[in-house]
Amino acid sequence: MKNILIGFAIAATGLAACNNSSNQTADTKQGDAKSDTAMATHQQVKQVTNDTAGTGSTPVTSVVKFPANELITGYLQLKNALAKDNSKDAAAAGNTIVATLAKVDIKSLSDKQTNGYRDIADDMKEHGEHIGANAGKIDHQREHFEMLSKDMADFIKTFGNGGQTLYKDFCPMVNDGKGAIWISEVKEIKNPYLGSQMPDCGTVKETIK
Amino acid sequence: MALLVVFIAIQFIQPAHNKSKELLATDFNKLFAVPDTVTAILQNACYDCHSNNSGYPWYSNIQPMAWMMARHIKNGKEELNFNEFGSYTSRRQISKLMGIANQIKDDEMPLSSYKMMHKKANLTKEEKVLIMDWMNNKADSLSANN
Repeated sequence: MKNILIGFAIAATGLAACNNSSNQTADTKQGDAKSDTAMATHQQVKQVTNDTAGTGSTPVTSVVKFPANELITGYLQLKNALAKDNSKDAAAAGNTIVATLAKVDIKSLSDKQTNGYRDIADDMKEHGEHIGANAGKIDHQREHFEMLSKDMADFIKTFGNGGQTLYKDFCPMVNDGKGAIWISEVKEIKNPYLGSQMPDCGTVKETIK
Repeated sequence: MALLVVFIAIQFIQPAHNKSKELLATDFNKLFAVPDTVTAILQNACYDCHSNNSGYPWYSNIQPMAWMMARHIKNGKEELNFNEFGSYTSRRQISKLMGIANQIKDDEMPLSSYKMMHKKANLTKEEKVLIMDWMNNKADSLSANN
């Protein structure tokens, strides 16, 4: 029986080759485009490293048309939803972040900003997507939030705080005792990793004015 | 009867196989010094969907199985491809390494449907710990360098 099936399948594969070629082409194209982007990003990162080595500074300027504020707001919504153990609102905020990233006008950035931005934005987008797609799995959302928080901290370093005072908080208890940071708009600690379990675990490490 | 006709008809539409002999410079094992024990687990439990080379069991040629597998492989590679790990920026590499550890910890990966058909993908507690520790340590050392 097994052999008959295999024989049949081989015949089918051969016959289907023509049918399939259009799909295949589409797939390959997509793949190529992707790896191209990845390559480009990789090269740009190298450039950034070189540039930074040359000038020794990262430009921090505010940009018109660039939704830095919206991104920070989306992140803070997410952070507050997680602090309230609200997985559904967290997912919505994750989707908001993805949507905000999608409308960024990269042309409005300087070259150096573009490079730094792509690196952070690609990562943020991925975490935003996972958080958005996992309503009901708050532990999983928090795992991605931890990495997203690092991205957000770097984002603020490069693009500024959008004019509002922010706090970089740290809780040493989460992440298997390694601890994790988050960005907050209020001085009072509201832990997004532990929620109601231990809402006030953590300290302000840095005030970003 | 109609169902049988449909079943036979769909056998003729087979997705392309995910097979590449090329060893890319971006390969996970070229990028990092990965212990053989870790590599073996990754190849047995992850590479079918997260690399450019999938193992194809006999039933993979029977529709609709082949479509289901092709979809899993496409999604799997989009999310993480061990053969092209070096094409990610270091920020994303760190994210991926931590993501791998987290997915194993939460028992989300390997997928339970995959584990049903692949005994080797049912990782023992020791194997899980080995993978998680290695991934987390690698992520930490990369973070420290940045």
